[in-house]
Amino acid sequence: MTATLARARTAAVLAAAAGVVFIAVAPRARSAGPPPWPVTFVDVAERAGLHFPSIYGGLEQKRFIIETNGAGAALFDYDGDGWLDALVLSGTRLGEGTRTELSWPAGQEPTNRLYRNNRDGTFADVTEAAGLRRTGWASSVCAGDYDNDGRLDLFVTYFGHDVLYRNRGDGSFEDATARAGLGSTDARWGSGCAFVDYDRDGRLDLFVARYLSFDLASAPEPGKGANCVWKGIPVNCGPKGLPTDTNLLFHNEGNGAFRDVSAASGVARVAGRYSMTAAAADFDGDAWPDIYVACDSTASILYRNNHDGTFTDTAVLSGVAYGEFGAAQAGMGLATGDYDRDGRIDLLKTHFADDVPALYRNLGGGLFEEASVAAGLGVLNRYVEWGAGMPDLDNDGWADLVYVTGNVYPEIERHLPQYPHRGPRVVFRNLGGGRFEDVTARSGPGATVPHSSRGAAFGDFDNDGDVDLLVMNMNEPPSLLRNDYAGGNGWIEVKLVGSRSNRAGVGATVVATVGGWKQARTVLSQSSYYSHDDLRAHFGLGPASSVDMIEVLWPSGFRQVVKDVAGRRVVTIEEPPEPAGAK
Amino acid sequence: MRALALALLMPLGLAQNTPEASGLLAEARALIDAGKPAAAVEKLRVLDAAADPRVAYLLGVAYYHSGDPARAIEPLAAAAPKLAPGSLERREAVQVLGLAHYLAGHVAESIPFLEQTREAMPDSIELAQTLATAYAQTGQPAKARESWARAFQVAPDSAAGHLLAAQMMIRVGLEEMAEAELKQAVAKDPRLPRAHLLLGQTALFRGRLDEAVALLKAELGVSPGEAMAFHLLGDAYSRQLKWDEAVVALQKSIWINPYFSGPYILLGRAYLKKGDTAAAEGMLRQAVQYDPNNKAAHYLLGQLLQQTGRPDEARKELETAERLPGAGER
Repeated sequence: MTATLARARTAAVLAAAAGVVFIAVAPRARSAGPPPWPVTFVDVAERAGLHFPSIYGGLEQKRFIIETNGAGAALFDYDGDGWLDALVLSGTRLGEGTRTELSWPAGQEPTNRLYRNNRDGTFADVTEAAGLRRTGWASSVCAGDYDNDGRLDLFVTYFGHDVLYRNRGDGSFEDATARAGLGSTDARWGSGCAFVDYDRDGRLDLFVARYLSFDLASAPEPGKGANCVWKGIPVNCGPKGLPTDTNLLFHNEGNGAFRDVSAASGVARVAGRYSMTAAAADFDGDAWPDIYVACDSTASILYRNNHDGTFTDTAVLSGVAYGEFGAAQAGMGLATGDYDRDGRIDLLKTHFADDVPALYRNLGGGLFEEASVAAGLGVLNRYVEWGAGMPDLDNDGWADLVYVTGNVYPEIERHLPQYPHRGPRVVFRNLGGGRFEDVTARSGPGATVPHSSRGAAFGDFDNDGDVDLLVMNMNEPPSLLRNDYAGGNGWIEVKLVGSRSNRAGVGATVVATVGGWKQARTVLSQSSYYSHDDLRAHFGLGPASSVDMIEVLWPSGFRQVVKDVAGRRVVTIEEPPEPAGAK
Repeated sequence: MRALALALLMPLGLAQNTPEASGLLAEARALIDAGKPAAAVEKLRVLDAAADPRVAYLLGVAYYHSGDPARAIEPLAAAAPKLAPGSLERREAVQVLGLAHYLAGHVAESIPFLEQTREAMPDSIELAQTLATAYAQTGQPAKARESWARAFQVAPDSAAGHLLAAQMMIRVGLEEMAEAELKQAVAKDPRLPRAHLLLGQTALFRGRLDEAVALLKAELGVSPGEAMAFHLLGDAYSRQLKWDEAVVALQKSIWINPYFSGPYILLGRAYLKKGDTAAAEGMLRQAVQYDPNNKAAHYLLGQLLQQTGRPDEARKELETAERLPGAGER
């Protein structure tokens, strides 16, 4: 009953709350209503060859919280051919009525899947050849080139033991966990992760979030505890009432090994949180990478970089810990982008049903204001929201919003049909002036056909200049939502190659100036929900055919400017090497 | 709800004077009555619950009072049919079984036992409330309304019956069900106070702002002095970024009821967005003064102070906000 009453209180608070934020940006110059929405999503996963389901817990009921959270996906170019490949994570399942994992017939064990892009709209399953077959409760993936060999490596977190996969460059990965010093004897629940060069030495360090401490053997059954009932219906217990864990930070020693600096850096000092997705970028504009962590049912964390190898959690002071009125929210996914075109990185954080996503507008100087209701996002609050992005779907120069949905209690919809197990991929179009419009119903079958989704990776898998989505679905094959954009707006995608910075440019901020407007993007190792997006920064140019200026704020601190760049192509910007003797 | 369930247990009386009870059973009963149910469980464990329904019954009652309703169900379910019909023991077993099912989250299973108990306790408003909540949570709004109507002593099919049922449904987070009840209330009596207000509040919660404004204005047509209607109207206008209209509505709410912190908080927000930081700070400080335990008031004041360059003062307010309980969980 406690959970039921608490939920009712939440509803009361939301109902009484006043979500108002004035967005001090120039309105979009439009005399009439917005033009037709030219974006149609079509799910091409099956025809593209993305066949395998991601097994994740029970189908009709989730008895334990480990079955509910699902996992992420990645769009990344593992073979360096200029085409995005697809990684989809998987969990496993418990035996009927048991607390032990199901025994699968040999060869049919659920596994993470890597699909190589055939460059013709289809993919080939290369999981075996890549050495990525593994069965377990996978959570999240983050990518980065931690050994600066020009090839993207992977880190995958688990309920169990996390794995570092080093890209050998021959189409395969090796499990480098033990050699890197990242192995552990005790099983923990890894959630978000991010490669981040927090000390700006040119090598990617590793941040790993922990969701909570969970003991399957002693976990209560649904309904058997104060936090095991939702709206009067018995459901799996938690996260409230379950013990929290602390997050980890590992320093890249440069010899293939990492050193645990969780305590020394202050990362482990932040306690009492259910940490989920992590995104590492320069959120306060001081040219040093910070780490933002969406936290479930507790205050979210902003690890602000102190420039000396340590971090301080400034989320509360910065205005990104809570909702607009200071209440903790069930933070799960997050997106970064510049929805108001002021050149600063804003944040979107997704939440549970009966709540709306938080849209944190970056005011500069490390301060944010919550703007979700004022932005028009309050019109939908029935869905549990997960993977999210701020892509410019129609290339008009304004970042739109997308989040995927799916309830964590499949059994609920039998009693409360207004909380469906499967939900849409919600699309909000940016109207300018800080306002968004729900255009889900006009975004094609890929958006409206319901699924219980979790991770979502954003990127241009067919290299046609618009942003597509790869979505992890619970107990289903993934969705590959091809964006069939029907307009004529220009675009550009910026690929970074670091030299003073890490090779992949992870952690960089790219600002494009077009027609006097600035648009900022970050190059992230993880975002959305437990997922990894295309590392190429995509910009819509509207009617323009070129970019006036591209400014790259490299993770090394170096600022690089490139002017008059033609659009409708992928451009590569290489960071100049440090002058001899400069360091 | 557990406190309510405990209150519900008291009128039934206890079975310690049952002549056929053994000494051990009497001791266990006494321990339960003395608030030591765990000790009663220990005492009863040496007896064979399977062989004697009185043992199983007391064991179930003891588990229930120990805060383990799920464990109480099995012995109570086994014992209840074997106890003498009409006996106090049987009535208590059935009652506790219903409550145990309810508290364990087996809401549908709880209903037959709670209904049986109602026959023995027709005037118990606690039972009527529990039963009504169970009916609502199992998607039976008409039966829920009947039960609440008994508790509130109104006709179940009257406008008041629909309104009260809706209010209680909102309490347990069943807004859609409540909305249907409220529409029936308004259809039966368009001038029923609070019906439009609750409909407006639900529309506001679901982000249907134009509808919320219209409903709240309708409420003010019925109850022109309803401070909460002005407050929610100000809230709706704020979400529409209509700051001037919001300020007027919120100010009216404060004039009618100056002791409610809600409109001060929203006025603080509105003045901040209008660029009048001094007025915003004044309103938020008044909210804190009237309601020192209001997390939102401290939090917004802290954010304002931070944004206006007073980080030390901001930190104090934000620390206070963090110490205060708040909503927000999955």
